[in-house]
Amino acid sequence: MAIASPSPQLVEKVTHYLHQGFHDRSHALLEAPPALGDPRWTDELIMATWFQAEHGRPPEGIEHRIGRSGGGFDRLDFKLLSEADWLAHSEDIGTAIPLNRRDPARRTLEIALPIYGGGMSYGSVSEEVMVSRAIAAQEWGTLTCTGEGGYPDGLKPYADSVITQVATGLFGVREETIQRAPMVEFKYAQGAKPGLGGHLLGDKSTTTVADMRESVPWVSLFSPFPFHSVYSVEDHRKHIDWAMTMNPGALISVKVSTPVDVDMVAVGSYYAGAHVFHMDGSYGGTGAAPEIAKKNIAMPIELAIPRVHRHLEQEGIRDEITLIASGGVRTAWDVAKAIALGADGCVLGTSELVAMGCTRCSNCERGRGCPFGLTTTDPELKEWVHPDWGAMRVGNLYASFQWQLRDILRKLGLKAVAELRGRRDLLRYIPEEFDA
Amino acid sequence: MAEPRKGQLEGETELVPAVGYRRYHIDTAPTPDLADLPHRFLVEVDRVELLKLLVKETWEYWGDWDVVAARPCVYGVFSGPIGGFAPRPEHCVGCLRCTIQHPEAVTIRHNPEWKAWGDAYLAPKLVETILSEAAIGAVPVKGQGYRGRFGGPGWDRIWTDMSEIVRPTRDGIHGRESISTVVDIGSRPMHLATDGDGERPRCLQLQLPILFDSPPKAAQSVEMARLLAHAAEELETLAFLPLPLVREAGAASPAVVPQLRASELEALAPAPRMVEILDDAPAALSLTDSIVCERLPFEPGWREALLASIAAGVRVFHLVADYHGRGDGRFVRDLALEAHLLLVEKGLRDMVTLIGSGGIAAAEHVPKAIICGFDAVALDTPLLAALQAQPEGSVTDAATARFRLPPSLTIEWGVQRLKNLSAAWRDQLLEILGAMGLREVRRLRGELGRAMFQRDLEREAFGGIDGYR
Repeated sequence: MAIASPSPQLVEKVTHYLHQGFHDRSHALLEAPPALGDPRWTDELIMATWFQAEHGRPPEGIEHRIGRSGGGFDRLDFKLLSEADWLAHSEDIGTAIPLNRRDPARRTLEIALPIYGGGMSYGSVSEEVMVSRAIAAQEWGTLTCTGEGGYPDGLKPYADSVITQVATGLFGVREETIQRAPMVEFKYAQGAKPGLGGHLLGDKSTTTVADMRESVPWVSLFSPFPFHSVYSVEDHRKHIDWAMTMNPGALISVKVSTPVDVDMVAVGSYYAGAHVFHMDGSYGGTGAAPEIAKKNIAMPIELAIPRVHRHLEQEGIRDEITLIASGGVRTAWDVAKAIALGADGCVLGTSELVAMGCTRCSNCERGRGCPFGLTTTDPELKEWVHPDWGAMRVGNLYASFQWQLRDILRKLGLKAVAELRGRRDLLRYIPEEFDA
Repeated sequence: MAEPRKGQLEGETELVPAVGYRRYHIDTAPTPDLADLPHRFLVEVDRVELLKLLVKETWEYWGDWDVVAARPCVYGVFSGPIGGFAPRPEHCVGCLRCTIQHPEAVTIRHNPEWKAWGDAYLAPKLVETILSEAAIGAVPVKGQGYRGRFGGPGWDRIWTDMSEIVRPTRDGIHGRESISTVVDIGSRPMHLATDGDGERPRCLQLQLPILFDSPPKAAQSVEMARLLAHAAEELETLAFLPLPLVREAGAASPAVVPQLRASELEALAPAPRMVEILDDAPAALSLTDSIVCERLPFEPGWREALLASIAAGVRVFHLVADYHGRGDGRFVRDLALEAHLLLVEKGLRDMVTLIGSGGIAAAEHVPKAIICGFDAVALDTPLLAALQAQPEGSVTDAATARFRLPPSLTIEWGVQRLKNLSAAWRDQLLEILGAMGLREVRRLRGELGRAMFQRDLEREAFGGIDGYR
């Protein structure tokens, strides 16, 4: 039975309750839902993200920096200066980074924050969610990404802030979508399912999604892995040349996962002509992935960043390519730690969804999709997220992240985020013993 | 007669498909749980608050009945005849939308009964996954990223590798049917001797690197023996079963490996394809034509026993840790590695087959165990979990473990559950092999370059950072 769009009264009722619920929980007016959270995204992190999405600042008295996973970012901290040596909190503390460091013939493409939005395909999320992220990206002078499900028309007004992703399924990839992009992202792999292609289960492959993907409705779509046309760095170069020729102004990003030889892959991508090397660690988000892939294939991003940073330095090309990290980057503190480990910036995905109401219930893949209206194209459920509201939430999260980054930088005596890159000496590790 | 194909020469015979090739396939079928299990979540509704909410909304949205009747659950928890007044927690997936929307009326909690399912090692999440795999035979696919701890303990200290670009199995899930999961169980001499006295290769080929270990004493029964034997036969793998039980159940088949003492061999006729010797395996070599497998618990002295038996001619070993993967004071991951590397160092590794048991409780443990050095694994507690056997207390070893099986269990149901479980685990093994770009599981054995160890990676990433040791 076809599901109709909800009446305005129903939308008003549901969104009112939901927004009130996010507010009350994140402001400690009500206790945390007992079943909320997991070791990576604790109940406090989720509610702290809801708070930031409302206020543009981190909350007080609630843990908003780390989770309880017992490793990686959760065991790292900064060696802050004593208070007397802190710089004043100032908007002069730079948070912008350039994405093009090697090619004077193309745009520099400086983004105001060392973060941008990761690819989430149409079908895995709604157009409303995509537009929300695009509006926020435009307002904040950064970028978001289409993912591999095509380029909905609603994104066109924000085209200068939207990366066009070219993934192995080539769903919805057209000349005009390449030509309107400030950056084209070739997705070789995704952290949550390294070595596997994209998954969109049949329930979510609706008529509109299938139209966008030039596919058949209600049939599960598994993208091949990897590109059938790429067997070598030279083949990879042909891909990049193809996109560069089609759009002479665009930068090229290469998104890969984190195998043991990710450092060599980075060098290969550099020599193929990439401007941005984007590593997606194994604890990243997804709309659907085999459970076995999420934990067990490829390495977490915290462990990959220093390896790639160091190798690019040894090759003498570190300053010619922008190193972007994603896959389990949850907080502003995670961003800062990733940069201290050697990244130039980070890509966010799950954090933005949490800002818009995600509870991390892990039911994105099934049936009608997300009951909060995020990872769904269901005509009723998608209405729970209005793009204006979503953009405000994501924008506020960016504001909070920028504020926190500046706060961390000033407490380290640094005047720009670029000064933090590779400063492992500013980190300390909090050891934890665990059983064999 | 068929029309000649274009270009076919006169007198040229038509090509016919090769005879005898058969692609291995496990027939899965939905096989729902027999007994009701604890729900993952409890749904607590304050009926007074719910009534007040309904009155308020009826007043507020009078006439807009779709708005009044709209329920905050898309999974049907409140879609019973009287809605939220009799919620249906079995439908709850923990999305929490109801409690976000109506905190005064609904609370969702983790069910303590669900959390008590399994034991300290075979944790509720693992049991839930096994039950799902046994029920539908499919790879569990979920949204959102990984939710657990960063790394260890146990198998979680290992990440497997993947290949970014170059790979032989290039078609994603569509190419995985060409990946082989065949393993050889038996002797593989390092060279062929032609003088008549030399060792000759003697192997069983199994379609799966997954065998069935004998159930713990408390779960041994005629029905269980028949069930395991039948499932192993259909899966073209092997089931280890105690000889008396095999006889009592009449379960002897090419898929059954009787477990016995060397002294019992003479009375064993006809000789099965393989026997598992529980005491003196070298002595068994001269008493049987069967392939001799030595069951060797990971207890102090196992290294010396392993080398001595190889020197005496035993070529198949079933190395056994307890159900929590512990043996000789260590975890089975380290024990497997040590056994493998010991044999590599002695130049013996390719001659023998190592089957491992203990601590294999999830699909991902299989490739990790193989990477660490086992050729194949023999499952123990996951089989019982698939059959909805509820552990009573901690289940650590076969002698003391107690399980409660569903009273209505039938052999037909159990066989299908184990086929479903094996299919799901095999498919997940294919996911891992596909991601690595490997064509066959035999190439994964001891392939440590395909594993990333947490300790190594952390040392490289965090070494030199204050506080890291």
